[in-house]
Amino acid sequence: MDRRTFVKRTCLGSAGLLLGGVSDLAADGVVLPTPPPIDVHEPLDAKPSPLRMPGLYPGRVIELFDSRSIVNNRVSQPVISVMLERGMKELTGETSSAAAWAKFVTPADIVGIKINPSGAPACCSSPEIIKEIIKGLESAGVPTRNIVVFDRYAYEMDIGSYQTHLPPGIGVVGIQESKLDASGYDANVYCQASFFGEWETRSYLASLVTQKLTKIINVPTMKDHSAAGVTGCLKNLGYGTFNNVARSHQNPYSFTEPLIGVMCSVEPLRSKAVLNIMDGTRQVWHGGPLTQAQQFIYSAGLLLVGTDPVAMDTIELQAIEKKRQQEGAPSVWARDPKSITTDGREFYHDPAKNLFYRQPGHIAAAGKLGLGVSDLKQIEHRQIALG
Amino acid sequence: MEETNISLGMSESPTAESDWVTLLHDSARSGGQKPQSMPAPVRARWQARSGGPVRSSPILRDGTLYVASIPGAVHAFNVETGRAKWTFQAPGQIHSTPSLSGNRIFFGCDNGKVYALERESGLPAWEASTQGEVWVSPVIRNGLVFFGSSDGHMYAAELETGKERWKQSLDGRIYSSAYAAEKAIYVGSGNGSIYALDSASGKILWTTPTGNGIDSSPALSGDTLLIGSEDFFFYALDVRNGTVKWKYETGLGIMSSPAVSGELVVVGGKDGHLYAWDIPTGELRWKVRAGQVITSPPVIGESVVYIQSGGVVALDNASGKIVWEAWVGSSVQSAPVISGKSIYIASNDGEVYALE
Repeated sequence: MDRRTFVKRTCLGSAGLLLGGVSDLAADGVVLPTPPPIDVHEPLDAKPSPLRMPGLYPGRVIELFDSRSIVNNRVSQPVISVMLERGMKELTGETSSAAAWAKFVTPADIVGIKINPSGAPACCSSPEIIKEIIKGLESAGVPTRNIVVFDRYAYEMDIGSYQTHLPPGIGVVGIQESKLDASGYDANVYCQASFFGEWETRSYLASLVTQKLTKIINVPTMKDHSAAGVTGCLKNLGYGTFNNVARSHQNPYSFTEPLIGVMCSVEPLRSKAVLNIMDGTRQVWHGGPLTQAQQFIYSAGLLLVGTDPVAMDTIELQAIEKKRQQEGAPSVWARDPKSITTDGREFYHDPAKNLFYRQPGHIAAAGKLGLGVSDLKQIEHRQIALG
Repeated sequence: MEETNISLGMSESPTAESDWVTLLHDSARSGGQKPQSMPAPVRARWQARSGGPVRSSPILRDGTLYVASIPGAVHAFNVETGRAKWTFQAPGQIHSTPSLSGNRIFFGCDNGKVYALERESGLPAWEASTQGEVWVSPVIRNGLVFFGSSDGHMYAAELETGKERWKQSLDGRIYSSAYAAEKAIYVGSGNGSIYALDSASGKILWTTPTGNGIDSSPALSGDTLLIGSEDFFFYALDVRNGTVKWKYETGLGIMSSPAVSGELVVVGGKDGHLYAWDIPTGELRWKVRAGQVITSPPVIGESVVYIQSGGVVALDNASGKIVWEAWVGSSVQSAPVISGKSIYIASNDGEVYALE
């Protein structure tokens, strides 16, 4: 295999966790299928970076709350500015914002800001946060022309109006224009597996990631996810940079565990994703990732900052679970066959219904791949209330 | 006050009833105004592929439908047969809705250029350069072509040669297609402000801020300028000085551009609703859920308003009641062309339809 490594990454999926004692699978009498082996093809010459996931601060999550950050469903730029600056200083221990950003980027970097526009316009990575990240990068000397805001789907970015909101000179890139457009992906870096007997068994990593960007700032949202349990840092990175990922879930089963973690472990993605800034101004507690139903979206006023995607997603999972419990919705860990529906309309209107047996265990599985800390007792969770 | 009856004063009004020469029919953004109330289509007279997703709107003149697709192809389709007369391949993606003037077609490209092609042959006549992608629809008036760029500038170029006449910084990316009146042009900026510029010099005449970026394109009705903002509000401004006459809060941001008919203005919201207001008073005439998210501009007929979202929906102008729906042609920003007994639509999946 020319210029590639070939690795099988398995045994960390549902079967592995089942042996580890996730009791609700057996208790509900639902036996989930064992995930297939996943072949990973990555460049031989990829050199792991010291900043690679879990990054400079494993297990550390800075959570900032300010009720003024979102008012009447509008995100406040000035409040976000204060929250992000405080978060960056708290994460790094630096006394200036510029020094904090300089921990992660240099003026020579080509920096990609990986947003999550799925669910736009109701809940997506807020442009106000992206603008503050751009200011932070520029304060560390990264030239405007070296900053690219990107996601897989151009049309979702269009609906989110990112192209309008961002300063002139910033690149705005949708990797693909249509569902079947694979031209923006690197044929030499992929994950291969057959989950449901599908014909197209490969998922390729975006060429933008393999060939152009040197660093990635990940900006996920806080949402429940019908297949993965939640979508946060890991899913936004893995399923947001590899193509052909929807094949991993087919009613009612989901192989988002282990695929999400495996994708995030692939070089050079793992080394380039150096920082996560999670947009929790809005939270989706049902119908994610695409819902537009405002009754399932609430203004949480949060921002999470960290380098460890597993620790951050663990905190996110806890928050989504708490909100679902408050709303009387079943746990994302539930395995109740009566909750499964094939009717998307029913799913989008009824929090007790779902399209898949969710796989929130994808977070812990990613931890076992070395991407971060999933044990709440080992996570340094600093909560800061600003207003 | 320099503009009164703008639809009569435009140099680029259609030359025949069936023509549809720019975004929302004519440079007045009337959205047609006089097309017949199209009955519910029953079939596709033809269907053609554009080679990639279409984000812009088709335009029509003299029996030729012009469609620009994201991969950079501009097609000239015979409206009777659906066969392409010619195709021009631009070196970049195209999000811009073309405009027609005389024997030329004008459009912006993601490579930062605006192209003028000969309408009959598709051969290039000239190109003008900016430093960012041009998604807007070039608007033409009094021998000038006006267009904004994501480089943050508004440009005026000579219609015949493409030579730059002036450029003006507007401090934000420009995805709003300008409205050109006799002596002034009006446009929104990504910085959240609405601008009036002197057509001849580009000098800023007035500025009105809103609470967030603007990608809606303005329309004018008498002395009222109408435009949506990402701050959730729809604005009616006094065109003479930018003073807010009235504004209305919708449920989410507004990317859609308004279409006007008499004293009625209609726009879509990202909250999935279509809104119709009385222009003089700002009174909401009706509000109807017409999709999950609406980002494309509506088109107004004599008594019917059309919106292309998940498909095409026709609503009664007076009540907002849905008259018919055709579930073809999903759209992000494309709007239909109504001509005679046909409706032409281009979709986000790259298909072009002639429905009748």
